[in-house]
Amino acid sequence: MKKHPRYLALLLIVFTFTITATAQTVTVTGNVKNSSNKDAVPAVSVTIKGSSSGTFTDEKGDFKVVTAQKLPITLIISSIGFETKEMLVTSASSPVQVDFVPASSLGTEVVVSASRVPQRILESPVSIERISAANIRNSPAASYYDVLANLKGVDVVTSSLTFKTPSTRGFSASGNTRLNQLVDGMDNQAPGLNFSVGGVVGLTELDVDNIELLPGASSALYGPGGMTGTILINSKNPFKYQGLSFQIKEGIMNTDSRFRSLSPYHNWSVRWAEKVSDRFAFKIGMELVAAKDWLGYDKRNYSRTGTNGKIIDGDRATDPNYDGINTYGDETTIDIRSNVFPGIAASAPFLKGFLDTLNGGRPMNVSRTGYNENEAVNPNTLNYKLSGALHYKLSAKTEAILAGHWGTGSTVYTGSERYSLRNLKIGQYKFEINNPNWMLRAYTTQEDAGESYNATVTTRLVNEAWKPSGGATGWFSQYSQAYLGARLNGATDFNAQTAARAAADVGRPSPTSDQFRTLFDRVRSVPISKGGGLFLDKTNLYMVEGQANLSPVTKNVADIIIGANYKRYLLNSEGTLFADSTGKIGINEFGAYMQASRSLFNDVIKLSLSGRYDKNQNFKGRFTPRATMVVKVADNNNIRFSYQQAYRFPSTQQQWINLNIGSNTQLIGGNKSFISYYNLKTTPTYELSATSPTTVNTTAYGFPDSKPESVTTYEMGYKGLVGKNLLIDAYGYYGEYKDFIYRTLVIQPTSGNVNDVVTALANNVPASNVGRIFSVPANTTSKVKTYGFGLSIDYRLPLGFIVSGNVSSDNLKDAGGFRASFSTPKYRTNFSLANNGFGKGKRIGFNVTWRWQDSFYYDGDFGNGDIPAMHTLDAQVSYKVPNTKVGLKLGANNLLNQYYVNAIGNSMVGGLYYVAFAYNVF
Amino acid sequence: MNIIKHIQHSGLTLLALFILFTSCNKLNTDPTPIAIPGNPSGSTLAQTLAATASDSLYNRLVIRSGVLTATPATITDAGQRYTMFVPDNNVMKAFINALSGGAVPIGSPDAVFSGFITANIPVASAAGIVSYNIVPQALPTSSFPTSFPNLQYPTILNPAPSLSALLRLTTFPSKRGAITWVNNVPLAAADAIASNGIIHHTAGIALPPTASLWSRISTDPDMTYFKAAVQRGDSGTAAASTLQAGLDNIGANLTVFVPSDSAMRAALTGLIAQGLIAQGVPAGIALAQAGALAATPAVFSNPLLYTALTPTLVKGIAVYHILGTRAFTVNLPTTAASFKTLLTSAVPTHPGVSIQATFTGPVVTAATVKGVANATPSIIFINSQSSSDQNATNGVLHKIDQVLLPQ
Repeated sequence: MKKHPRYLALLLIVFTFTITATAQTVTVTGNVKNSSNKDAVPAVSVTIKGSSSGTFTDEKGDFKVVTAQKLPITLIISSIGFETKEMLVTSASSPVQVDFVPASSLGTEVVVSASRVPQRILESPVSIERISAANIRNSPAASYYDVLANLKGVDVVTSSLTFKTPSTRGFSASGNTRLNQLVDGMDNQAPGLNFSVGGVVGLTELDVDNIELLPGASSALYGPGGMTGTILINSKNPFKYQGLSFQIKEGIMNTDSRFRSLSPYHNWSVRWAEKVSDRFAFKIGMELVAAKDWLGYDKRNYSRTGTNGKIIDGDRATDPNYDGINTYGDETTIDIRSNVFPGIAASAPFLKGFLDTLNGGRPMNVSRTGYNENEAVNPNTLNYKLSGALHYKLSAKTEAILAGHWGTGSTVYTGSERYSLRNLKIGQYKFEINNPNWMLRAYTTQEDAGESYNATVTTRLVNEAWKPSGGATGWFSQYSQAYLGARLNGATDFNAQTAARAAADVGRPSPTSDQFRTLFDRVRSVPISKGGGLFLDKTNLYMVEGQANLSPVTKNVADIIIGANYKRYLLNSEGTLFADSTGKIGINEFGAYMQASRSLFNDVIKLSLSGRYDKNQNFKGRFTPRATMVVKVADNNNIRFSYQQAYRFPSTQQQWINLNIGSNTQLIGGNKSFISYYNLKTTPTYELSATSPTTVNTTAYGFPDSKPESVTTYEMGYKGLVGKNLLIDAYGYYGEYKDFIYRTLVIQPTSGNVNDVVTALANNVPASNVGRIFSVPANTTSKVKTYGFGLSIDYRLPLGFIVSGNVSSDNLKDAGGFRASFSTPKYRTNFSLANNGFGKGKRIGFNVTWRWQDSFYYDGDFGNGDIPAMHTLDAQVSYKVPNTKVGLKLGANNLLNQYYVNAIGNSMVGGLYYVAFAYNVF
Repeated sequence: MNIIKHIQHSGLTLLALFILFTSCNKLNTDPTPIAIPGNPSGSTLAQTLAATASDSLYNRLVIRSGVLTATPATITDAGQRYTMFVPDNNVMKAFINALSGGAVPIGSPDAVFSGFITANIPVASAAGIVSYNIVPQALPTSSFPTSFPNLQYPTILNPAPSLSALLRLTTFPSKRGAITWVNNVPLAAADAIASNGIIHHTAGIALPPTASLWSRISTDPDMTYFKAAVQRGDSGTAAASTLQAGLDNIGANLTVFVPSDSAMRAALTGLIAQGLIAQGVPAGIALAQAGALAATPAVFSNPLLYTALTPTLVKGIAVYHILGTRAFTVNLPTTAASFKTLLTSAVPTHPGVSIQATFTGPVVTAATVKGVANATPSIIFINSQSSSDQNATNGVLHKIDQVLLPQ
């Protein structure tokens, strides 16, 4: 055990240093084989003891070390999952043969993100979770994003098969703006659409080296946005991971045909990396996912006011005003009593009295007939990723990287509505130079919404294109005439409503007809700004950042790193998403940070202090500090304490969105220019209560200045290895949000008189009938508090079996009177039993993972409601075919095919069963 | 072996967890239908009527009317909802006795009445009466309007299908205290429930109106002055916008207090005399001249009086006699209360007229209406046969003994 730190230190050096032979030299070659099955072991670190020289084995297990040292030398051969080995080399004439013994050990990983420098995971000053390529390889999950769901404290919101949003410490949502995702250092939040696109665009599965998850506040190191956590996904360096790899997963889903018929799942990926010389290496990767997507199939009836609402009783047959959660077009609703009957009464005055008596004088809200999700949303999900990188060593320690990730596809996203992201294209391109002591990086995110459209609005417009709602011959007029005709003939209200809908829907395009498809395609192709459903978003992000490690100079006092960045958003949606119809909108941000750390009392205590200052052109500058302390209570047992602040500027949408989402509701940003544009103060607006749907505040809304949100988190944790076989990690945290950002609804009464809104709400008349509703960002004046804990245990059984379990809890406190959208279960737990290799030649692997989460109230703009408790069982068995580099895997996600949903209106996720054929996957 | 045991134990633990927790995920995706009341079992209105011996004569009228066999089906359809106002046999006998001019004595056997219905009441008349007494919704007396103004309830009688498929004559159920009416006809027994509706028994027969208010005003020999006043008030106005057109519009719903010719003559005489006296004509001569000028309705078309009886003045007085809703005398208040007239559209603050009625049981025995400038209330001539509660297709008419003066 005591050797570990030393080996690890060497290992770290090898991770970040490679050398180039420049002098008169000795060349040592060799080959590394797995001792249990004689398979070649690629990507193994081979270093010369006592120096920083080293290399990695290629896909055949071969290595070549060139050194100026004289023989004999000692080689250190190490890789995660094997026992580190030292070999004395006395002669370079024959290749060194290394029998590498597989071993499983706990707590040996090295993480980088917790302090921006490599350190043992056991010594991390803040909570951190790590997923290695081996974890992904041995996971049952069909997509590496799904592996995150099994970490403690993680929730994943599934908008669709390829659109998953992980969250930690609350505030789960499709598109979580409180959690940063960095892929190879690039923020992969789509700058205009405001959701992280990792599942759609990021790395291909075969190129993922590791994923590090920092739950909790992390702005001090990673900039604005990391309120509840930061996920860092790092790709495989082509110098280390070489050769051709590919994987073909073929599966089936929708096996019980409950929501749609049985369909295939295809996931093919390939990676090719080549170390052309000691200076130059490149890699290229592709991944294709094609399937019939999970379907949003919540047919429950929804009563909405703007973006507020609740689930109510009623279906299409029994509620004339039915508005199904996952049916679209039926959001178009009016009170025919107050909107249509007066027109009929004007031309048929003898009916006026009769009309007055109908429904006891109460409103008669009627909605148009909608279409189901699979009719309005592209039912096929497709995702194609292409990525590549050129790596060039400028010197032994300095590496230049030119890299690009590009992805396109069709998927479904839930925001304030369901959005069909069709042929979405996002590219991330970076140039980076890194050195152990400094780093420079410039990158851009280029977003193109392609043919993406708002499914709800588009379907409503399809209804209008077929038969306009208004007018003397419009749908509602026809409905009302037929209704009255039936009532005047003695029909009951129910029968008259049924007859009226049948009459008004005569000629309604069948969802499978060419007529419907033609109409739909026409409407979805027209930009939102011109009355259609199409986004034209081409928002881009540009970022430059640099970091320097001053430790070589300052190490006697403290280890110090400093860094700075400049970020520029360029909003460009041609008026379809942002208020940018007259031109692009630029938003500039810059930030700088510094961290000092020092060990005290013989490394028993490690302290670090960090601070970061950020400024956005639209907001005041902000300083966020972080202080951490790690106390070594015993070898491999550490207690950590941290105080961290994090903050975020309002997202680009929270600043500049200007989107009509129907129902007389406009989403707007917090920028002051909206106030004059919509005359929000000259024609006053009034806040609708988020908690009491029938209440409006009769004092005009003041539109206070929009402010950045901040959170202060206190955390204590313990991570330790008990013996060799038990790894325990535990944390507890408490966070306080200041100026918490939420959205609220304000109404601008058509009459200018707020009392008309009061009366309408009291009479169950939709607020949108008596005024225009705006959803505006707001900051709370009170503090919002969150707290929770997590505990995980990994226990190593003989022969490489590992049983793991975790439980975690997140809670919200003091969030009354506004919609906090916490949307997170109080408790969740995961259990797994796994083995990466057992049996003859250690060729068989398996993993069984069970997850349960508590019921919770989901609070989103698209829908609010209770999400029932749910569980899933994932499992896989794998087999490595001897002498072929081929791995076979049989996997199941949601093995028991227990459909679940983790956000109101999102897709129903069922069982996915696949077989995978993998070649040279490491 | 140890390993195998380990695996077995782990497997068993996992299996136990499955059994504990892998009950189905409770996925809520299906909407909860709202409970729709089914059709109550039991007899339909048609069946109930046919089975009630004391309603046999009205049932005969219903059969005669063809309503039972008309399409679409009405009171025979258990899936629909209706309210029927039904006169029992005693009421029917009085009705037929009157209709036959006494030729069918009240004491005749039921078969005689029944035979009379079949032989002497035309199908169209029967259909009119029956249809007018069927309201296409279930109206228990508990839902009858209890305050002024009335709400009009369409019947299933469309007097002019060619004009509009939605056209219907309307009736006016109302309730004051325990007493209920349809139009001005008291209910004798209410709220008999059938599977597809409700039967209210009436103490008389609510007959369908056949003519418009204007039709009545323009042909009644004792309303010639009011007719001439309306026409004078309309002079210079486009035809479609005239008061006459309004009084003839089947879509209107009005109450008109029509002063008798003598009342109009007296008022005009006084008005003209005052004008003459103001011009210096001695009172006696002025009265005589005024009496001569006001002797016929032609007074309104006398060019000599054009400046005195301007269309605006005359129309103002005429519309002061009209309420914008339909009020049968039984709907009038027992203590004097003010109601807006059509004059309100020109003078929004005008208080309207003050109305009061005196009841004996469900019957109004006296009623008055008073203009703001009148010294005494005008008496409504209570005689439902010819002068009060004259129901027209577009309103009700009451004859009064004074002209109502708005100022």
